[in-house]
Amino acid sequence: MNVVANLPPGWIMIAGALVLLLAVPRTMHSLGVLVVSAISLVSFLYRFSFSEDVTFGNIELFGAQLQMVRVDKFSRVFALVFHIAAIVAAIYALHLRDTKQSIAAMVYAGAAIGAACAGDLVTLFVYWELTAISSVILVWATNTETAYRSGMRYLIIQVASGVLLLSGAIFQFVQTGSLAFESFVVDGQSLSPAGILVLLAFGIKCAFPLLHNWLQDSYPNATPTGTVFLSAFTTKLAVYSLIRGFAGYEPLIWIGCAMTLFPIVFAVIENDLRRVLAYSLNNQLGFMVVGIGIGSELALNGTVAHAFCHIIYKSLLFMSMGAVMLRVGTTKATELGGLHKSMPWTTAYCMIGAGAISGFPLLSGFISKSMIISAAGEAHLFWVWIVLLIASAGVMEHSGIKIPFFAFFAHDSGKRVDEAPLNMLVAMAIAAAFCIGLGVAYPLLYRILPFDVDYHPYTVTHVVTQLQLLMFAGLAFVFLMKSGLYPDEKRATVLDTDWVYRRALPKFVRGLRVTVDTVGGSMRGDTNVVLQSFYQNAKSTFDENGILGRTWSSGTMAFWTTVLLATCLGIYYF
Amino acid sequence: MTNPSTDSEPSWFERPQNIKKLTGALVVSCVVLVIADGFYENPHPHFDLETSFGFQAWFGFIAFVVIVFLGRLLRLIVSKPEDYYERRR
Repeated sequence: MNVVANLPPGWIMIAGALVLLLAVPRTMHSLGVLVVSAISLVSFLYRFSFSEDVTFGNIELFGAQLQMVRVDKFSRVFALVFHIAAIVAAIYALHLRDTKQSIAAMVYAGAAIGAACAGDLVTLFVYWELTAISSVILVWATNTETAYRSGMRYLIIQVASGVLLLSGAIFQFVQTGSLAFESFVVDGQSLSPAGILVLLAFGIKCAFPLLHNWLQDSYPNATPTGTVFLSAFTTKLAVYSLIRGFAGYEPLIWIGCAMTLFPIVFAVIENDLRRVLAYSLNNQLGFMVVGIGIGSELALNGTVAHAFCHIIYKSLLFMSMGAVMLRVGTTKATELGGLHKSMPWTTAYCMIGAGAISGFPLLSGFISKSMIISAAGEAHLFWVWIVLLIASAGVMEHSGIKIPFFAFFAHDSGKRVDEAPLNMLVAMAIAAAFCIGLGVAYPLLYRILPFDVDYHPYTVTHVVTQLQLLMFAGLAFVFLMKSGLYPDEKRATVLDTDWVYRRALPKFVRGLRVTVDTVGGSMRGDTNVVLQSFYQNAKSTFDENGILGRTWSSGTMAFWTTVLLATCLGIYYF
Repeated sequence: MTNPSTDSEPSWFERPQNIKKLTGALVVSCVVLVIADGFYENPHPHFDLETSFGFQAWFGFIAFVVIVFLGRLLRLIVSKPEDYYERRR
């Protein structure tokens, strides 16, 4: 028992996955995930109190000092919310009888928790790749050709991110002799090569603009339950890592601004509602990246709080769409509508999630997102502040209105289905309770944030202005709908940066191959002609009738020999 | 499972008079929220714009409309048939 108690955070889940796989009957696997996740949470809370930092597992490997476990004010919050997300998602997946998904999900959650508590870059790298490899199974488990290919692209990109991280770690070790995972930002200096590589690795996982498209590509292709796990861990692990390594790195502010803005425009025209949620996830990550870039205590508190709330309301939204997916078989807006009649509970939970992400007062987004916006105000970053306000109106558009409206209301699609299974409803209820709980009992969350909090979300100004923004955005929606200006839902594929590697590059490569073939073919032809004529010449000269090949008579030979000798004699004398 | 015979009837949310009620409530709350602006003072404004009358109200409205129109523009460029990537070649 002592061994179990001393396992690094996350290992209980990874080891538990092995035990489930080897020793527990298949039908119990999804229940096993829930039990093991709960044990892991209890053990975590018991061992890592919120008052002191804990480090252990220092080992030396090839002359480098590794620190497998470091639990401090940052890792603690993330490990805690990862546990909560894992447990809620495990309840959501209770009806599953799919060993592959159960085991993969648990290893994935365990690896994410382990990574959040890693003290050095190599340990981080190991967990980093483990999250990639375990999570791709959740995409592949859909068992379609599309999902398989999308999973392959996902895996390649995720593993590439890990390779960049490892390269960064090696650079760092060569340069400083240490592998410790500390901040790469030094005031007044540009990033070291190691810092750039690691930032790129984090940037891929955090879905920075232009590196983002794996997210919209893969998440909607995963299984209904798989997407819930996916939405919680990978990108927020990247957010955590960015806080650790790059807090206060100014370019992140602008990267974050771009991240909050462009996905909302894509989300307006996207038909697949799970893909809309993926864009919305991207937009929410933007808020966090802005917070990390600002780097003040308020901003970092806001980022951690927002990540915490976000994991839960985004899970809730993906859970509601997963329930729709399970019952209707699609999440395309064109094929949905009117589902509030047959799935009233799912509708209600989805609307709570939508309210939370939009930042309605009394719900979780209100108390976390506003910290980041206030931090931008305190740093007197006027344009950043404006961008975040625009982005907030955008969140209201795609997640606050579009998701619930087109799935559950809008035009009745005539589809009549069963309400979601009980376990899914329970999981959604828990997540919804968290959304409300965090919005109301916010001091509980503020207490566990990295820095002391001196922020009061429920001021008259804040409540009124936030409500103004949201309600007038809602009014704009009604206005656009009534006037027919709101774009119709249309069955379509929306191109994004994945077009580059799914269409442009393959086309380019195909074109290149044709060119090479053509040029190669013609060159081969010419060479053949030259060789042929050379061969013909040689043949006609050397064969039995050729000048050098035929048998010469003795007289002729004697004559030519005499000529040769005479020539030599002549040369010798003169 | 809901009873199929009652399914085809419009639900509360689908009846025109209720939609009107909901829209009316939204308009009323918007008006109230703007009026409320005259009754409190922002104790700690960061920018001048923040204190102008009904700032977040008109800003929210315009931002929303602009986003939707940008989406319509974007659709002209990046929207392709649904089987774009999977088409049999």
